[in-house]
Amino acid sequence: MMATKILWNIMKTKSSNIMFKRWESSEKRVAMHDPFVTQPKKNKKTYLEVIKMFEDQDNRRRGHVEFVYAALAKMKEFGVQKDLEVYKALVDVFPKGKFIPQNIFQAEFMHYPKQQQCAVDLLEQMEDNKVIPDTEMEQMLLNIFGNRGIPLRKYWRMMYWMPKFKNLSPWYLPDEMPSDTMMLAKLAIERITSVDPDTKVNVWQTEEIEVSLDKTWIVSAQSEAQKILLSEQPIDEPLVVRGPYDVYLRDQIVTYFLLLGKTRADPKDDRDPDDVSDIEKPPGIPGYIGSTKLPAVKCTVHEQDDGTIVSVCATGTSSRDSLLSWIRLLEKYGNPILSTVPVIFTLTAPPNDLSIQETQPVAQDDASEKTKSNE
Amino acid sequence: MNIARQICVAHHSSVGRLLHRKFRISSVKYDSTQTSQPQVQEEKFDFEDLNVVERIERRKPKIQPFMKDVFVSIFNRELLAYPEILNKDEMQALDMRVEALDRVFSNPQKTPEERRKALIAAKMFAAPVSITRNGLAMNCTESLRYLEVIASDFELGQEISDHWVGLDALSVGLTQEQYNGIIDDLTSGNNTIALCIKEKVAERISQADFRTTAELDGQGVWRVTGEKICDRKDGYKLVLCAVDGSKIKALLVHPNSSGVTIEGPFTTFMKTPATPIELASDNQLAQILSLSRLHAAVLCRSRLKRAIHSVVEYVRPRAFAGKPLSELSSIRAIIGEALLDIYACESAEYFTAGLLDGYMEPDIELEIAMCRNFMAKHGLSKMMQLLAIPALDKEEECKHLLDDMRHLATRGESLDSINSFIALNGIHHAGKLMADEIKKIRNPLMNPSFIFKKVMANRKQEKDDPKLDLYLAEHLHPSLKQPSEQLEYCVLRMRYACETLMSRHGVEVATAYTELSRLAEAATEILMMTAVLSRASRSYCIGVRNAEMEMKLAACFVEKTKNRVKKLILDIDDGEFLNLDHFKVQFGKKVLDTNSLVVERPTARVFW
Repeated sequence: MMATKILWNIMKTKSSNIMFKRWESSEKRVAMHDPFVTQPKKNKKTYLEVIKMFEDQDNRRRGHVEFVYAALAKMKEFGVQKDLEVYKALVDVFPKGKFIPQNIFQAEFMHYPKQQQCAVDLLEQMEDNKVIPDTEMEQMLLNIFGNRGIPLRKYWRMMYWMPKFKNLSPWYLPDEMPSDTMMLAKLAIERITSVDPDTKVNVWQTEEIEVSLDKTWIVSAQSEAQKILLSEQPIDEPLVVRGPYDVYLRDQIVTYFLLLGKTRADPKDDRDPDDVSDIEKPPGIPGYIGSTKLPAVKCTVHEQDDGTIVSVCATGTSSRDSLLSWIRLLEKYGNPILSTVPVIFTLTAPPNDLSIQETQPVAQDDASEKTKSNE
Repeated sequence: MNIARQICVAHHSSVGRLLHRKFRISSVKYDSTQTSQPQVQEEKFDFEDLNVVERIERRKPKIQPFMKDVFVSIFNRELLAYPEILNKDEMQALDMRVEALDRVFSNPQKTPEERRKALIAAKMFAAPVSITRNGLAMNCTESLRYLEVIASDFELGQEISDHWVGLDALSVGLTQEQYNGIIDDLTSGNNTIALCIKEKVAERISQADFRTTAELDGQGVWRVTGEKICDRKDGYKLVLCAVDGSKIKALLVHPNSSGVTIEGPFTTFMKTPATPIELASDNQLAQILSLSRLHAAVLCRSRLKRAIHSVVEYVRPRAFAGKPLSELSSIRAIIGEALLDIYACESAEYFTAGLLDGYMEPDIELEIAMCRNFMAKHGLSKMMQLLAIPALDKEEECKHLLDDMRHLATRGESLDSINSFIALNGIHHAGKLMADEIKKIRNPLMNPSFIFKKVMANRKQEKDDPKLDLYLAEHLHPSLKQPSEQLEYCVLRMRYACETLMSRHGVEVATAYTELSRLAEAATEILMMTAVLSRASRSYCIGVRNAEMEMKLAACFVEKTKNRVKKLILDIDDGEFLNLDHFKVQFGKKVLDTNSLVVERPTARVFW
């Protein structure tokens, strides 16, 4: 137990410590104040201004490695960690020409290792933030480190792999994720319901239900097939609302809930798969195809082992009351059977009825958290 | 020579036939039907108990189903003698009537009313009815001749086809009293019968594919409820309904019945009273109704013929580069190809009609479906090629012809459903005969010696070079030896294809639709080749005018088609990964799911 704790601490702090130490050590020598801290507004414009300030300060660019490390560390704070233009501005801080090796010995034994390592770290941070560099950046690195430089090799490797991975996910997400939680929830629900392309995603407001306490939105999805499966549920058997479950959209989490019903019996096929002596053949009447009867067994994708999923939703508050409103809204929009069938809420933990919790890091999310995370 | 021929043991030729072969001397055009099978002569055609003069039954005893047997590479060589159904008197009477009809139908000035009158005068609306009921007791061969003429009128052709099929169904399915009651009205030509079978595709998963139902009400009257695809406004309607859940029954709705509403091509029945066609079994009903497929083939063919005429009329007076346009070889080739298809389809139609009229209890649903399938598949593409010649100058006429063809090609059912019908029936038949073998193939470790034998037996098939041991050339004119061997090759590959399919999929073969449609197409082409060869051989032997042209047509058609069959069966043998079905299915699924073309534009960038 203790050992894991220690290990965890080391892992958690190591990287920032190193960077911090570099900053610290150089601070003694250069003795400059941290311009990022003093900026009143933290956005891209001010960030670029600080870089500009540094470039204008000293045309010999003394202390630029320390400056780049500091700038990299502050990126999240300014919200520019995904911005290619900012990274290019940072690369531009390196002086051109000086670090290009002039002979094979320099090229072989890592000319200006600290500077090269700094540029590689910069590229590493880009990679972590999934920012694909462009060809202009290649030119800049070429002008700084020459074509034998380690940063160039890093760059080329990045340009080999990153575009390949960029669109590998079968579920498309826009480059910039929407900041609105409802739009995010819609994306998440669309992703979940992509198993049945006929699914319609609706956005409802709980205001439509007069008795609702939580006034929020509900993103609910149901396909025609699910409507029919729901309408054929036995009236005396209760439906179950299950959740909350998490779905990740890049680094953001959306919690969603399922409405489950009973599943029809498994299809029974006791034919001998090898016996072809009596293969079914269609009747010979032209125009008469198909059958007059429907299968009364499990045959749609919505019918899973633990129940038939008849609808999916995400609500603004994930509260029990909003889920109740969801059931009422489903009933209002084409599922009249819900007025007669009982619905049980089996949420894994009692949902707290606070509307939106503060954003918390992913690792600390536990099952009881009902928050639709914004970040 | 034949005696000296090495007799090999083929698994599907009977001992009797081998003995028979031993004592044969000449093999050319040897009509053995009469010696081996006694003809039934002078028997009354007894679907009525009337002892007046009725058409004489001359049909031969029942034979094994022809095309179904081809699925297991059994080929009835007797059938290579092209059927001759009509005798001299019948032929003369037929020619007379056809000529009278042709005068009216080939004259573009005549109005539809005049044509209808001509049909009534020639007793066409009563044609399938027995002679004692003032009909013509027309058989299938005759019906094709009549229909060919009538088909030049697009609407009337379809109407009379439905009417004839309906009359056949009624004569089998109604009781004497019911039949007597309505037959006069039906044959007068004022009210014809329309077939209402096809329904819209289900729109929800809770809808059955076939939804029109019929039930008895309190007074013992059958009431029909449902919606059908049928655009005929008036007249009788033969409606196919589901009864008691899963049983099928045809019911006749009389003109002006209550609860019928017509909207565009859809007819809705709401508790409409109807007369049940009680006496016809499902099987009988299927056989009778399937005749409409044969008619559809004739109608398609007549449209294609019309297009050829239209193209010829267009090409003849025109010139290109100072020479007649008709000298352009590409135009000639297109017309020649269309002629090949017409020749093949015509041969197959009359061949099938001959089987139907020539033998007792014919089992020819497959042959009929194949005629339909061939014309629907090739007709449309040939039509497009033909119409490309005058496309710009004769816009309106082209549109019209093309639309008619499209309508006929999908009339009553789609190409896919016919294909799966053909293949499933064939596979069903093959499955019955090959069940033991397939079971062993699918459990190789339980039957090692069998598998070893199978590998040895199949090694020529694996090399795509089966041993030709059907000797079809013996039943054809000697100059057709090469084409007949090509046909033989195709026939012999069929059993192997069925074996491959069934051992690969087992019972699931019924859902391997892409492979089944290949099998169906291959079988269809085999029927066409058979019919073409036997017709050409007959024509040449008896000296029909232009018979040498027929021989060339036949040889050409078989040469061309053999390659298609070869490819189809090789594709079946290759399986879904080599014939790319697997991938095409995946692409299709993606497009269906996303309703987009899935791929990004060619100008898309991932980085700059």
